[in-house]
Amino acid sequence: MHVHELNPKKTLWVLILFLIVIIIGFFTMKRPLLKYQLSLKQSTKILKDTSNNYFYPYQLANVLDHKNKNVVIIDLRNKYAYGLGHIPGAKSIPSFNLTQKGNVKLLKSYKKNGITVVLYADNQLDADGPWLFFRQVGFCNIKILLGGYDYYEAHKNNLAQTKTDGSYLKGIPRFNYAKVACSKTVTAASKKAKKPVVFHRRKKVAVAAGGC
Amino acid sequence: MGPIAINGLISANLNLVIAVFLGMGFGFVLEASGFSSARNIAGAFYGYNFVVVRVFFTAVIVTMVGLLYLSYFGWLNLSQIFILPTYLPSMITGSVIMGLGMIIGGFCPGTSFAAVAIGKIDALFFAIGLYIGIFIFAEVFPFLEKFYLSGYLGHITLTDLTGIKAGWWAFGFTVIALVAFWVTASIEKKVRKKIKEYKF
Amino acid sequence: MNRNYYFLTAIMFVLALGTLFISERVVSPQISPDELLWDVLQPTRFVTTDQIAKRLIEKDPSLLLVDVRPAAEYNKFTLPNAVNVPLDSLITPAGQEYFGNPGTKVVLFSNDAILANQAWVLLRRMAFKDNYVMKGGLNGWIKTIIQPERPPQTAPETAFERYDFRKAARLYFTGAGVVNSGKSSSKTKVVFKRRKKAAVAAGGC
Repeated sequence: MHVHELNPKKTLWVLILFLIVIIIGFFTMKRPLLKYQLSLKQSTKILKDTSNNYFYPYQLANVLDHKNKNVVIIDLRNKYAYGLGHIPGAKSIPSFNLTQKGNVKLLKSYKKNGITVVLYADNQLDADGPWLFFRQVGFCNIKILLGGYDYYEAHKNNLAQTKTDGSYLKGIPRFNYAKVACSKTVTAASKKAKKPVVFHRRKKVAVAAGGC
Repeated sequence: MGPIAINGLISANLNLVIAVFLGMGFGFVLEASGFSSARNIAGAFYGYNFVVVRVFFTAVIVTMVGLLYLSYFGWLNLSQIFILPTYLPSMITGSVIMGLGMIIGGFCPGTSFAAVAIGKIDALFFAIGLYIGIFIFAEVFPFLEKFYLSGYLGHITLTDLTGIKAGWWAFGFTVIALVAFWVTASIEKKVRKKIKEYKF
Repeated sequence: MNRNYYFLTAIMFVLALGTLFISERVVSPQISPDELLWDVLQPTRFVTTDQIAKRLIEKDPSLLLVDVRPAAEYNKFTLPNAVNVPLDSLITPAGQEYFGNPGTKVVLFSNDAILANQAWVLLRRMAFKDNYVMKGGLNGWIKTIIQPERPPQTAPETAFERYDFRKAARLYFTGAGVVNSGKSSSKTKVVFKRRKKAAVAAGGC
């Protein structure tokens, strides 16, 4: 008989070693502070269904009058810009500090208490990334202030009247592109480029080959 | 070296060097666990020695469970692991032929080389036969090609096929394997009583 | 029977039982949320309309413009040689073939930078690199390239240089500014090299 067969004790030691590796794995495992709560499909869905995404400048009027106490405004700009001027009552969390444990906990507590969080930066674009990020990790109470601080600064005395103003809305064409940017000569000019354009599409990622 | 090589962490040459060492390790373990003996391998079919079944089942369940844990810890990306493509009819035929060969010859391809290394003459003839078989297969391949490539299912796993979580498969196989250990041990006991002379 | 066998069986059974409770990693590779937030905060993904205009005029082969607006808007007008990948098809394999090609820089654009930026965030979550966002979008394109504004007399020299470039670019893109009411299109027929199925080396026992 072979040594291996006679000695289950050795096998036991090897298995215990295996167990130790797994236990080490459990202890060294990175536990992320945040996890994706929305799948990619759900994320694209919330981008299309905009009813729950935006906070309009005219809605600010209620918050600033302390009529609507269920809203917390967060300023994502740096401390310097915040010091120069900010929306009254806004809390300053510079965007680079967003992942800090304390700030994430704060946001979680807001979510638990059903408080709407409104993010803003100088303009909508600057707050857009962090906003979409927090929506994807499950903070469904986070909205983005349309127009950003720039728009607020320009209209801070007549916020309630901005309801009819649409100049801060993004994503809509401001020009009739086809009319402004094209002409017959364009087609003539681009005829040169009419030869087929070849783009390289990505190849599948290689997997390791092997066998036994 | 699986995911290490395709992520560019080691060069193709170093990959080959590692393959040599892994091959040595594989051969060593085969020998150490008794796979170089034709009796041990054929014994699984006659019921007096199930070491082959136990060793292979141990390897399977330890790897299966281990990979799931490694993936969970984030140490290993399971999507980069090579999965053998499945050709159903040819695989079933091939495994039947291989099983017959193992009973008749007492070796499977890998173990025959381990046995050649320790100087077994039957293994030497088995290995020579192996090459003759490969040669014949290569010659008649054009006739077999259609059958060989039929029933292609792609690089699928049981989880892809059934939608059942990999953890359940691992658990199920482990239970089967553990039951098999105890059952085979008792079968061995009964069969060996009838054999008067028993040595390897 | 050896007592060790009982231990072996018990340990293996418990380990296997554990696999039922550990969650499996998502199949599609995604970057971790922490990494995503860090990348989202970097302003390096933004490129200006001037940079795009320059690359287009130079016919930079490594540039791929991707229009993330809905197909209907894309059909009306788009930038030269741009391909259309609406938000929905971003997460389908067919739409993703444009991204992550080595040596290609993908520039996303929409009416404003907002939608393109959101598409960028989703792509980054799916671990795609080398994507950029055209700041200002098509509205900015019209404002800066097609209808450039003359800088005030007191503006620095570089502002005038930029203005000159924009006027030249306008000439290039609209053809001397001749206004024609006829229906026109700046799209070219785009032919793609089809991606081949990756061959995988076979292994055996």
